[in-house]
Amino acid sequence: MSERYDVVVIGAGVVGTAIARTLARFDGTFAIVERAHDVGMGASVRNSGVIHAGINCLPGTFRARFCMEGRALLQDWCDELNVPYSICGKLVVARRDEEIPSLERLMADGEANGVPDLRIVSGAEAERVQPGISGVAALHVPTSGIVSPYALTIATAEDAADNGVRFFLGSEAVGIEPDEDGFAIRTTTGTIRTRFLINSAGIHAGRVARLLDPDAPAVYPCVGEYLILDKQAGETMTTSVYPAPGAANAGLGVHITPTTEGNILLGPSSEYVADPETVCCTKTTTDRLLDEACVMWPDLPRNLVIGAYAGLRSKLTSPATGGFSDYVFRRTTEHPNAVHLLGIESPGLTAAPAIARHVVEDLVSPDAGLARRAPSEWRVRRWPDRFDELPEAEKERLVAANPDHGEIVCRCEGVTKAEILHALDNPLGVRTLAGIKFRTRASMGRCSGGYCLPRIVEILQEERGWSPDDFLLRGPDSPAFAGRLLEASRV
Amino acid sequence: MTTKRITCILCPNGCEIEVAYSGEPTAETIRVDGNLCPRGTDYVLEELTDPKRTLTTSILVRGGTQPQASVKTACPIPRAALLPARAALRTIVADAPVAIGDVVARDVAGTGVDAIVTRAVPRAVPRTTASARRAS
Amino acid sequence: MSDRTRKTDVVVIGGGPAGLAAAASAADAGAEVVLVDRNRTLGGILNQCIHDGFGLHAFGEVLTGPEFAARYVDRALDAGVEVRRDTMVADLSPDGALVCTSPGTRYRLRGEAVVLAMGCRERTRGMLRIPGTRPAGVYTAGAAQWLTNLANVRVGRKVLILGSGDIGLIMARRLTWEGAEVAGVVELLPYASGLPRNITQCLDDYGIPLHLSHSATCVHGRDRVESVTVARFDEHRRPIPGTEFDVDCDTLLLSVGLIPENELSRRAGVVLDRTTSGAVVDDGYMTNVPGIFSCGNVLHIHDLADWAAEEGARAGRSATDYVGGGRAAADARIRIEPGAGVRYVVPQTAARSADEVLVSFRVTEPGEGKTAEVAADGRVFAAESLRRAHPAEMVQIRVACADGLDVDRLEVRLA
Repeated sequence: MSERYDVVVIGAGVVGTAIARTLARFDGTFAIVERAHDVGMGASVRNSGVIHAGINCLPGTFRARFCMEGRALLQDWCDELNVPYSICGKLVVARRDEEIPSLERLMADGEANGVPDLRIVSGAEAERVQPGISGVAALHVPTSGIVSPYALTIATAEDAADNGVRFFLGSEAVGIEPDEDGFAIRTTTGTIRTRFLINSAGIHAGRVARLLDPDAPAVYPCVGEYLILDKQAGETMTTSVYPAPGAANAGLGVHITPTTEGNILLGPSSEYVADPETVCCTKTTTDRLLDEACVMWPDLPRNLVIGAYAGLRSKLTSPATGGFSDYVFRRTTEHPNAVHLLGIESPGLTAAPAIARHVVEDLVSPDAGLARRAPSEWRVRRWPDRFDELPEAEKERLVAANPDHGEIVCRCEGVTKAEILHALDNPLGVRTLAGIKFRTRASMGRCSGGYCLPRIVEILQEERGWSPDDFLLRGPDSPAFAGRLLEASRV
Repeated sequence: MTTKRITCILCPNGCEIEVAYSGEPTAETIRVDGNLCPRGTDYVLEELTDPKRTLTTSILVRGGTQPQASVKTACPIPRAALLPARAALRTIVADAPVAIGDVVARDVAGTGVDAIVTRAVPRAVPRTTASARRAS
Repeated sequence: MSDRTRKTDVVVIGGGPAGLAAAASAADAGAEVVLVDRNRTLGGILNQCIHDGFGLHAFGEVLTGPEFAARYVDRALDAGVEVRRDTMVADLSPDGALVCTSPGTRYRLRGEAVVLAMGCRERTRGMLRIPGTRPAGVYTAGAAQWLTNLANVRVGRKVLILGSGDIGLIMARRLTWEGAEVAGVVELLPYASGLPRNITQCLDDYGIPLHLSHSATCVHGRDRVESVTVARFDEHRRPIPGTEFDVDCDTLLLSVGLIPENELSRRAGVVLDRTTSGAVVDDGYMTNVPGIFSCGNVLHIHDLADWAAEEGARAGRSATDYVGGGRAAADARIRIEPGAGVRYVVPQTAARSADEVLVSFRVTEPGEGKTAEVAADGRVFAAESLRRAHPAEMVQIRVACADGLDVDRLEVRLA
């Protein structure tokens, strides 16, 4: 770590990796430092996976601007990277006539942001768009979409890695000292020097900013809990359904969002938390998610809940204030070569490519003097097609070419042994169970890994010589097991 | 008069048997009630005087299709001997192939009872992985 | 598109006790049988059930799971069943066409009859919505059993078990024998759901506490389980405030129910029973799809492998009858339904012309001195006194009707 990079990014979430991918199209040396043992392990894989249309952003803000710019770029990126997405549309549903004005306000904001094709429709027409929902009227947002947030983050990161960005995983920034030509970033795995620094550390961005700049604002973690429904539920619910905002008795305002894989997400909730390290799901909130979702979707199959998760938003507004604030790109006159991205909450996923473009092209590159690389100097790393989704003839062909595609390891998601082994060969060097999970979908199905985990353990022990201690859920602090049951050599 | 309730474990019926006796429990002194078959009486007496259990566990196998074979004591052994018996079996490594009924240890932990294999483990054939195929 | 379609009389999906017995009996009855199983070794879940208690009814012996399985493997092979291991069925259509996948090959198979014997999966933490963090160290008991008994893995050092079903009780003893500390078993209901003898030989023998009317309210630990909060629950399954206590542990095992694995069945258009989550079948174990049969745990969760195997044997014979044209497809049917005190019955329909129907059912709550009745229109067709009935124990009652069943529906109830 003794060389000096041109740019180092702290935080490999969807925004940090988008910045890394954008940097990789320039000449220079770039690195990204991430405390977790894979990319996207914070909010980036624990959100709704929505490509926002732009109706929910105050016109004139960074949020609105980067939402509109980002949603177009995001679709381009997904097309290039082969990341699953779908423009499935959204209905914002009014349950009572009193809620219709809020739909009109959303529509006005949306039109001011340039969102096309917005229409307020009757309850009956809303039901024709999405059978099974209940309301008196709805705002139909045809340009709203969904994307796989983990596929996006990992594909973006691995593409950046393939094109020269160095990834330091398991490396937490604990100190930032300005030096003669930029900064020395002290991490838990060594010191890394850089000319320019981009802080995209999400809920930790405030703390990281204050390593350099004691006046940097605080970032407040705000938890959003979700429930996941079985793919059976996704057979009939294919459009996002949101309640009209700010209604009386609005409760959590729970959203119903399909995923690109066919599951349904209910959530998120919204509650400030004191400790960002312990992200929890709670009984009261998940009960409320179900109850409120049933109001919009009376036949919601409650028995099809298969999981729950919680993610932390990065909020600049304090618990006392609440509400939203715009994105902050903080640079001080004392340290103009450090850019801190603060408060990147919704629509952060949608905006990520646009935020990356802004930070790299508008803020850093002019001072850093980075020159664009010719397209022939980089290549796109495509996210692999999922075997389970291929046509039968293609499956047969692949099985004949690679026998390991003939063995289904994750029964619920149809993941083959070849896909599992390929996931371990990723350019980031990730070897965790969560790493396999997000790259293949193994253990994300209805049986939560009850079928595939023992088989993955068997395969890796027999064919890759792994021992029980090599199986880590998310990193060295989360060992899956406690060693072998029986040891061959005993003292 | 001592009374106890003992669940018989000999079969899935799991009869809850009430046993009463004065002084020491013997075949003559105990009175039992609640068992569906006479084996329950024998079980209760043994449970009161010399409780026994079958140990079902695993041992390591070398060169087999799986790392362990399951084993059991050929018949029930005294309860107090269960953990020492398991400990004694931890040091055993059998060579594949092993068949159901193979004796892997005699007189386990001094009980006079053998440990036998309950799950066959054939010899491992090298698995043909995709990479091995491409190499050949 | 591949044209390698092997056709046979009967395809059995699943090589556990039900599938093996179905295959053997179908072959014994004269059919050509192919059995496919996704594991390397036949026996299904029995391979990891290294404890004993199997075979008492089937063989009059006390066998471990693998020994019991080996008997049925021998029967199937002796009967001439063609076995395909390492083979998973990726798709099934109503006409009996299967897509099979195996290392290096993906092909089609067609059975004039197909017997579903895929077994079941376990209820998960996600389905129960147990709150808290999501650390390493939370496993279903069956997955932990595989890891312990087949993969030589120690799952953890200090274990709390949620659910007093037999799998959890057996794992409590197994892990204790292997040097782990089992902090306790927690059961939501006011009674244990496993067999009483397992309470004795798995918990009482080792002083492992059983907390009835308790359940887990929160999992703690960011990276690996550190503790689990347990509370007493009331009769409405709500935690009672003030009764919480924390159990220090690094592992939480879940033994909270089994769910028949009918994803493949759904693809074939098989109608499922909402209570059992298994197929709706007639007295020949045929589903609503002609030629598709169901037996074993995929039909309804069995308490003993012996019964699953017997049911498989009946289904296998019935499948061969069907292939031979012996089943009158349009036979008039009667419904068999659960009544007072009974949670479900299998089969759910029977041919009006049937001269005997074996009905399997489970009671809704524990009780003593009850009588099970199969009745209709005030007439009792069969009755059996149940000295002790428990939801964990399957009950079977034989309804003999030499003159056929001249009613529209039969009710199985407790009196």
